Amino acid sequence: MNSSGPAWWWSLVQAVLLLICSSLAGLAVNHQLVFDAFAGRLTTSVEAATPVADLTTFPVPALLADIDSLLEQGGLLVDARPQDIYALEHITGAVSLPMLGLDETFPRFREQTPLDRKIITYCSGYGCQDSFDLAMHLILEGYQNVYIYEGGFPEWQAAGRPVAGEGL
Amino acid sequence: MKLSRNSFFLTGRLVLGVVFLYAGLIKAADVAGFAGQVAAYQLLPYAFNYLVAATLPYVEIACGVLLLFKRHVRPALLLLAGMNLVFIGALLSVAWRGLEIDCGCFDPTGSSGTSAGAALLRDLVLMGLIVMTWRFKSARSAER
Repeated sequence: MNSSGPAWWWSLVQAVLLLICSSLAGLAVNHQLVFDAFAGRLTTSVEAATPVADLTTFPVPALLADIDSLLEQGGLLVDARPQDIYALEHITGAVSLPMLGLDETFPRFREQTPLDRKIITYCSGYGCQDSFDLAMHLILEGYQNVYIYEGGFPEWQAAGRPVAGEGL
Repeated sequence: MKLSRNSFFLTGRLVLGVVFLYAGLIKAADVAGFAGQVAAYQLLPYAFNYLVAATLPYVEIACGVLLLFKRHVRPALLLLAGMNLVFIGALLSVAWRGLEIDCGCFDPTGSSGTSAGAALLRDLVLMGLIVMTWRFKSARSAER
């Protein structure tokens, strides 16, 4: 990218201004989401629970630090990974509700789990889609307090938290 | 020769404009989903994933629009080059750590199945296109 000195520097200054202005535009549009994230309302404010009306449209992300608090409030960990992987290793106390074959397993889950119970879905960590898909399915089925533990089994295991299964 | 330079400049400008405008618009339409994709890189504290997701699409949109309308082409190219370097660094980090994630570059839901390697290759091609477009822009300016 060779060019004359002043023109290059002027382009750089304009690029920085462009970055600032477009970022501010993005912040203006999404300020509520960003404020909520920094205020912890999307993550750690489990006690100050998000109103039910908000939870009916989108699951709430939960961090590792939130899980104990959610469990104390009667939360149920739900493993969205395939059944055979769950059988090998899973978070202690979690129940299996794999996305694969959900139509067959969901009716039994629905019978045993009231709609107002806090549900925390997880799968194989960041980048794994199943926990989100399962959370959305649960919300559509009427569950009102659905959380996603995005760190999932890998983060839980790496943190030395209790795990169970045949593979241990 | 001048005609060919003009054609290369036009092609590069339009391709980059369309690519980044599309990338920005599709992410801006699902900021929360894109935040999840940024989080999958495991590079930033949780809330900062949302900050990046809220701002990055608009930078891409601004650069895409400026390139398409041939306004402030050099600043837009410079900014895209800087962002592309950051993307390449992030993807190299993902490959180094052995994370198997979707790059989230053109699909905020992460369902495109684009691996870090494929995304890295694509970013290198885009980087080459940015450099070539900059050079043809400079050559055109020098001729005037």
